[in-house]
Amino acid sequence: MGENGNLIRTIDLWKTYEMGAEQVHALRGVTLEIGTNEYVAIMGPSGSGKSTLMNLIGCLDTPTSGEYYLNEKRVSEMDDDELAAIRNKEVGFVFQTFNLLPRATALHNVELPLIYNGTPLQERLAKAKAALEQVELADRMHHRPNELSGGQRQRVAIARALVNNPSILLADEPTGNLDSATGSEIMSLFDRLHQQGNTIIVVTHERDIVAHAHRAIHLLDGRIARDEPRIEDRG
Amino acid sequence: MSIWEAAKVALESLRANKLRSFLTLLGIIIGITAIIAVISIINGLNLYIAEKVANLGSNVFVVQKFGIITSHDQWMDAVKRNKDLKLEDARAIQDRCRNCEAVGVEVHTYEDVKYGNQTVEEVGIGGITANILPLENYEVDLGRALSEFDVDHARYVAFMGADVGENLFPHTDPLGKQVRIGRTKFTIVGLGKKRGSVFGQSRDNYAKIPLSTFQKIYGSRRSVNITVKARSQQVMDEAEDEARVILRARHHLRYNAEDDFGIVSSQGINDLWKDLTEKIFVVAIFVVGISLVVGGIVIMNIMLVSVIERTREIGIRKAVGARQPDILRQFLIESVILCCAGGAIGIALAFLVSYGLSKATPLPSSFPLWAPPFAFAVCTLIGVFFGIHPARKAAHLDPIEALRAE
Ligand SMILES: Nc1ncnc2c1ncn2[C@@H]1O[C@H](COP(=O)(O)OP(=O)(O)OP(=O)(O)O)[C@@H](O)[C@H]1O
Ligand SMILES: [Mg+2]
Repeated sequence: MGENGNLIRTIDLWKTYEMGAEQVHALRGVTLEIGTNEYVAIMGPSGSGKSTLMNLIGCLDTPTSGEYYLNEKRVSEMDDDELAAIRNKEVGFVFQTFNLLPRATALHNVELPLIYNGTPLQERLAKAKAALEQVELADRMHHRPNELSGGQRQRVAIARALVNNPSILLADEPTGNLDSATGSEIMSLFDRLHQQGNTIIVVTHERDIVAHAHRAIHLLDGRIARDEPRIEDRG
Repeated sequence: MSIWEAAKVALESLRANKLRSFLTLLGIIIGITAIIAVISIINGLNLYIAEKVANLGSNVFVVQKFGIITSHDQWMDAVKRNKDLKLEDARAIQDRCRNCEAVGVEVHTYEDVKYGNQTVEEVGIGGITANILPLENYEVDLGRALSEFDVDHARYVAFMGADVGENLFPHTDPLGKQVRIGRTKFTIVGLGKKRGSVFGQSRDNYAKIPLSTFQKIYGSRRSVNITVKARSQQVMDEAEDEARVILRARHHLRYNAEDDFGIVSSQGINDLWKDLTEKIFVVAIFVVGISLVVGGIVIMNIMLVSVIERTREIGIRKAVGARQPDILRQFLIESVILCCAGGAIGIALAFLVSYGLSKATPLPSSFPLWAPPFAFAVCTLIGVFFGIHPARKAAHLDPIEALRAE
């Protein structure tokens, strides 16, 4: 796989929910490719399937039909535990609601992915601290989530997403629960992470956030309505 | 996730809600307390029996009209069937049993014993041959034991238990004093060493007098107990068989008739005791088993609640890469630790119960060292057995749905 090889490749992804007799098609055939070190914004109205697509890309969910390759591995056919291993190794997920363990310290929250891949304690602590430093929270590592501001919590979540050096960083409305100042703080953090070589996919409603990205994918009713590559924007 | 971290999580949720934890663990606590208390008591009784009741000596047995009888039916049969044992029966054993070293005879009754205006009521009076005292491990504290000479000449002398001595002669030397046993005067020649009590029953409330004297006073119609010492422990069974054959011949029993007498040996007492404690144990296990099962079900319930309450946590863990076995292990460890916490409290309570019982009642009890590990093993089993269902439920949660939970 080359420098801009296809990190992510989906072919005709469908996701259908059975609601009693009714069928809800959250995705209706999404085919897309995303390369290494791309910075992609996914947009679209509420209910258009953005979160559903992110969950599939993040291996949190499996498609009803279609194929999904991550790093040339066919993820769409994997079972629960194989997916867990992929999530652990390849994916860093940042949620709108942070999803931190409320009773654990920032440090322990960041350690969590390393615990599940059997990293030895010393190395684990070192990596977790390094990740917290990367988001400029080294001085808060022994605080619990309820002792941190919203922006700080989201940064802890980002540190957790980064700690295992994943292939992709996924963020589903990461600024949705933050005020605009804190939101742009988080976005400039994403910019920096992108410059360091990370592949980033962000779901967002906010236009000025999209400006950070180099490609915007618009979803409508579970289909890709527009796909705007904006690589030329970058100097 | 290491065992240690799961333990920390479990202990923290225990601490966070003390009352609920206590109620949750009540069944386990009661079960473990009960089982260990029962084990302690049986263990204590075992030591006690070994030490005191069965101190006949390993090569001594006693032939009695009624041996050890354990049921009403047995008793009814024995009353109909068994014959009085006579002095001649003892002589026959003495003459013909080749594996028997010594044969002693004792007859029992109860009398008040008086000195001046002091009375000790209901003293066990034993008419004995001189060799009974050494055979049954009576030791001399003051004066001397009864002698062959006393028995041969039917002298009016008595060897008394420590209780009788203390009560009648609190301040004076009892030796040489004359006491009344019933209506007959006896001279005290010796006092026995204290033998202590069994189940609150003193074993020092006796007066031994010569068999011949006893028979002069009370007649010779009473059934006697025959105490036999085998030549060695190895020939104990043979000696018992010989005595049995000799008595059966004297009593003209047919080959298929049951013995019309009983033989008691320390082995026999021990066997009986074992049988009894096994029965107690089975009942106790049954009762305790029920409370442990109830305790286990409560634990399962609380773990199910915990899984629901922590659905989101499970979702987070899965999202960052926890596999099903990781989650399963976490919740199993948690339920095992929950149970073991109950077990630990139970062990502490049982220790107190066992200590209190041995202080406050004549019931002896001894807390066995293997009880705590045993209790923890039981708790681990319960924790795994009743924790597996909630843990599997947690492990199989869908990550997306779990994350969406409130
Ligand atoms: N578990 C589910 N069961 C049934 N329908 C679902 C489920 N999850 C999502 N959907 C439906 O799928 C469609 C897409 O949902 P999705 O959450 O992907 O939208 P979204 O683009 O993320 O919207 P928003 O911007 O509001 O977050 C919606 O119509 C939603 O109702
Ligand atoms: Mg969404």
